[in-house]
Amino acid sequence: MQTKTALPVRDDERPSPTPREISSRRGRGDRNFNRGLSLTGISVLAVMAAVGLFLTIEAWDAFRAVGFKFFTTSTWQPDRRVFGVAAVLLFTVLIALLAVAIALPLAMGTALFIVEVVPSWLRSTFIAIVDLMAAVPSVVYGLWGLFFLQGQIIGLSRWLTTWFGWIPLFNVSGDDPTSPLASGTVYTASTFIAGVVVSMMVLPIACSVMREVFSQVPPGEREGAFALGSTRWGMIRTVTLPFGRGGIIGGTMLGLGRALGETIAVYLIISPRFDVSFHVLENGSNSVSSLIALRTPEATGFGLSALMAAGLTLFVMTLVVNFVASIFVARSRSGAGSEA
Amino acid sequence: MKTLQRRSRAGNIARAVALAVGLACGLSVVATSASADGGYQRISGEGSSWAANAIDAVRVNVRQFGITMDYNPSGSTSGRKNFLNGTVDFAASDIPFQFAPEDGSAPENPAPGSYAYIPVVAGGTSFMYNLKINGKRVTNLRLSGENVAKIFTRVITKWDDPAIAADNPGLTLPPRDIVPVVRSDGSGSSAQFTKWMIAMHKAIWDDYCQRSGRAPACGYTSFYPTVKGVVAQSGDLGIAGYVSQSFAEGAIGYVNYSYALGVQFPVAKVLNKAGFYTEPTPQNVAVSLLKAKINKDASNPAVYLTQQLEGVYTDADPRSYQLSSYSYFILPTKVAGQFNEAKGRTLGAVAYYMMCQAQQQSASLGYSPMPVNLVRASLEQIAKIPGVEVQSVDISKCNNPTFSSDGANLLAKKAPQPKVCDKKGSLQCPNGTGGLKNVPTAVKSGASGGGSPSGGTSSGGDTTVDGATGPGGITDTGADPATGDTVPSGVDGQGDGGTPEGGSAVDGSAGAVPVGDVVTTTLKRESAGLGIGLLVGLMILAMIFVPGFAWRRLGRRGAQ
Repeated sequence: MQTKTALPVRDDERPSPTPREISSRRGRGDRNFNRGLSLTGISVLAVMAAVGLFLTIEAWDAFRAVGFKFFTTSTWQPDRRVFGVAAVLLFTVLIALLAVAIALPLAMGTALFIVEVVPSWLRSTFIAIVDLMAAVPSVVYGLWGLFFLQGQIIGLSRWLTTWFGWIPLFNVSGDDPTSPLASGTVYTASTFIAGVVVSMMVLPIACSVMREVFSQVPPGEREGAFALGSTRWGMIRTVTLPFGRGGIIGGTMLGLGRALGETIAVYLIISPRFDVSFHVLENGSNSVSSLIALRTPEATGFGLSALMAAGLTLFVMTLVVNFVASIFVARSRSGAGSEA
Repeated sequence: MKTLQRRSRAGNIARAVALAVGLACGLSVVATSASADGGYQRISGEGSSWAANAIDAVRVNVRQFGITMDYNPSGSTSGRKNFLNGTVDFAASDIPFQFAPEDGSAPENPAPGSYAYIPVVAGGTSFMYNLKINGKRVTNLRLSGENVAKIFTRVITKWDDPAIAADNPGLTLPPRDIVPVVRSDGSGSSAQFTKWMIAMHKAIWDDYCQRSGRAPACGYTSFYPTVKGVVAQSGDLGIAGYVSQSFAEGAIGYVNYSYALGVQFPVAKVLNKAGFYTEPTPQNVAVSLLKAKINKDASNPAVYLTQQLEGVYTDADPRSYQLSSYSYFILPTKVAGQFNEAKGRTLGAVAYYMMCQAQQQSASLGYSPMPVNLVRASLEQIAKIPGVEVQSVDISKCNNPTFSSDGANLLAKKAPQPKVCDKKGSLQCPNGTGGLKNVPTAVKSGASGGGSPSGGTSSGGDTTVDGATGPGGITDTGADPATGDTVPSGVDGQGDGGTPEGGSAVDGSAGAVPVGDVVTTTLKRESAGLGIGLLVGLMILAMIFVPGFAWRRLGRRGAQ
């Protein structure tokens, strides 16, 4: 069908249109919405500040009693005024780093698999499985680690220390791999087992952040890569991963934050120890949050203040980690690499 | 089309919301009707994990009266602290309030006259161990008190230490590391254990205290100090759970006897002053606690009914077990905080039940029932709870196995004498202990020439009888209704005092009670476990696949 097209005819009788005045004044609904959002944003900050303030006030007694020694002492006997977080903090960081080191490749692989490999009708099932991992309460992970994993992982720990014992990290004192009667108990309740269990909890968070970012890769660039003869792996390497770098870092840091604060699973698995040791496979570990969980029910007065001081340390450390994460994420915004 | 679809989706959401609301309403109706039953208020308690098995049995049993009671076995120290904070209605503690702790921890200062103690359960702190010789579990280990102290202070670190071999002439123990497992939380068991160690083996303890960096505060402590090689776990359940794992070969931990029965593990027989190795059976604990000095100063509630156990440590009765003790309820005697008279009424009813009806099942759980004088004194104490409905309990109707017409402790009176083979120096008995009473351990024959002849015919006879019935009972527990049948008769026998003649016969029947009990419960648990496992599997499959299918469905509908 053909339509007749007519050119616009100049109409001189009409007044020339004046442009509408542009005003930045918003309507009432907009303003209210804006205020509401700012209020919630500010209240989040206010709550954070209140938590920090409360912890500082409560921890003041403890800090005043021991001063800077709080960061160099490793025993924990607050009622005798001999206490500090040197060992506890070290173990906390070790557990968190181990957890992230295990979770990072797993989470990245899973996210890539879900986004790039799985057929679309199965995708939601896989997403549901990973999200299910996040929904499992941490006490369940703790019990799983305590009653199942601990017994199974001894072989791996023994293998690691037998062959890599020369690395101080994997050294286990008090173990004799050549003795058939050597007890597996020297490998139990260790930093390593706690790290593995925490990594299972970190995995779904990190994975979902990465998956979200990977799925936003512009289809044009992807198809461009394929059109140039790239294999799927080549496409992932040259398009998806550079595009999602921000998401990878962000997800990892988020996981690190979670791993630092993980309480009940670590509490169940470790056998608390209060001496500085880098041997992650060895029996005994600790963490700030599990120390708080263990001691708070029994602490009175000053003991509670000491625990608050430990809590404040963890709080500050987690804040720093998250700030660093946000800086990283902001600098390497998703897609920045692929635009070059 | 779009509006229609939206409407149908909105309808779905509305239906789901309605369902959720309906469910919530239904649940709340159920909850309110339960709490209204009998007019009892929900009460909560916290404390001793040592006594938790007995308290938990009471918690389950008082449900039939419509009483909901929460109990959190988080350790005695935690229980006392939360009682002081007013966050729980009562506490259970193995030791009284610590006005002047000897380990440098902060003193506890309850308001005078705001609380009362009642001893609720007696029992033994046992040394549960996980040890095998040639792949076969050892069930008859014997230890002198000194060796126990040395094991838990890392002086003895190998199972083949000559000192332990001297206790066990019938066993060739492997050169395996000993892994002592202690409590990581504040615990009454740790306090009782260290108190015993200080009283009996002070030099060993003081040395350990120095090494662990706890000095100079070396008094008895609820917080067991650790050195390298010592594993710390939270709660009796934590220790029992750790020791019973298959990887924990060589581990030994201190738990209440009931936990060893629960996980079916043996406990070490400990040498007493009379030169016999004994285990904390209900009868032996009853005998031992005859020597406990109970404070009778009713005018001072801060110490009334508390225990002095030095007499128990040095008891010369051949049946006594040195680490026997009472565990206490700490009851409020004033209304304060969240505790009110309505809760007092409930707490009173629970306490009466605990002191009377509950005592008859103590023995089957691995505890020892309370003797009559303490039950009487406790009943008077219960009347001090504000809001309590005072009951005049007829003690003779409580079916407490310790009660007799003349006031003597019947259970202790009828407690069997230890076997000759349990005497120090004799070749040890092959009979199992704790939760593995029916599993004997082969004993080296003729290792010590004097041993087996001195054991004589009675010891030999016991061996063969146990050897015949023991393993059989274990292997065909599944189908054999006979095992199930023996349980009630065994319980009856114990309640009435059993067969009057023949010490060893009584020993056998009484010993069979807890074991039979445990076996039947695990059987039930297993069959239930299969069903639950299937259900869990189905639920997991549903959780995984339902979202996927639902998504596809929705997507298809959206495409139409």
